[in-house]
Amino acid sequence: MTDSEIIRQIVKGDRDMYRKLVERYQPMIFRTCMGFLHNKDDADDLAQDVFIQAYQTLAVFKGDATFSTWIYRIAVNASLNRIRKSSKNQFLQRFETVFGGEKSKEFSFPIPDSENPENILILHEHREWVQKALNSLPENQRTAIVLSKYDYLPQKEIAEIMNTTEGAVEALIQRAKANLREKLSALRKKNKK
Amino acid sequence: MNCQLCQKELDAYREGLLPEGMRVQVENHLGNCIECAESFHLVSLSYQVIEEERRLRTNPFLVTRIMAGIEELAQNRENHQRSPSYQKVLKPLLISVSIAAAVFIGVMFGNIYLPTHPTNNLPVEMTYMNDAALESVDLFSQL
Repeated sequence: MTDSEIIRQIVKGDRDMYRKLVERYQPMIFRTCMGFLHNKDDADDLAQDVFIQAYQTLAVFKGDATFSTWIYRIAVNASLNRIRKSSKNQFLQRFETVFGGEKSKEFSFPIPDSENPENILILHEHREWVQKALNSLPENQRTAIVLSKYDYLPQKEIAEIMNTTEGAVEALIQRAKANLREKLSALRKKNKK
Repeated sequence: MNCQLCQKELDAYREGLLPEGMRVQVENHLGNCIECAESFHLVSLSYQVIEEERRLRTNPFLVTRIMAGIEELAQNRENHQRSPSYQKVLKPLLISVSIAAAVFIGVMFGNIYLPTHPTNNLPVEMTYMNDAALESVDLFSQL
């Protein structure tokens, strides 16, 4: 059953059909959210919000773009909004951390037990740098790199999602890679001092 | 090869997109330059981090949670559509009646607790005092 057939049935009132769309797209949307937020719980919550938001506006989905492009747009916008909101709340979070409040839950990768503690610490620090560097990219570069590296989307589809040309996406990805490299080098140098 | 060129080619080198000659040059440079080797390590690590995040799976109950959220939304919408008279007329009416009832009950309780007998605070002498016999204040003003 194609996406448009499912959507037609949902709009007619068959709510259960939406489950099929969710099952089909949830891994992709979750990966996109993960690419922006780097936190599993937050990405789960955001993916849930994205699907609910998509359901609420499904009636106005005209079908000019494919459903996947449309839901990716919702996911990207929701992720960027979440980041903007959380950066506004960062001051309060820092305040809470300083005064012994609950620490924000950061995602940490499972670390193999066999490695020695110093290596584990270095690896953990380097991973933090990578997340920091990714987070500090400008929004459009970040969107392009997330859709390209987390979702493996072709440049044509990224261009449709971002409402731009394929050439512009290519340029954004190259700039994002260069920026990422520079920021990582800067973080390395800063931590060496 | 200098560091600037090597840094520029690191992504392509990592992805195996460089031609043979350039690949060898980058490899030789990485073998001799600690700075570039560290940069390469970090670039590789960034892709490793991305790959690890990519491999994470969603919460197994995510679909159920989403469907429950949608069900709740639809239920709210149906309730809202089913009772437009409640929203438009009955709700403000109920609020007004509640406020009026609260005021009425307040006044009623206030009256219940009014003393039914004269208080004993008034001295007995005052009760028998004949106000009419007292001198008028006007008399003092004429002095």
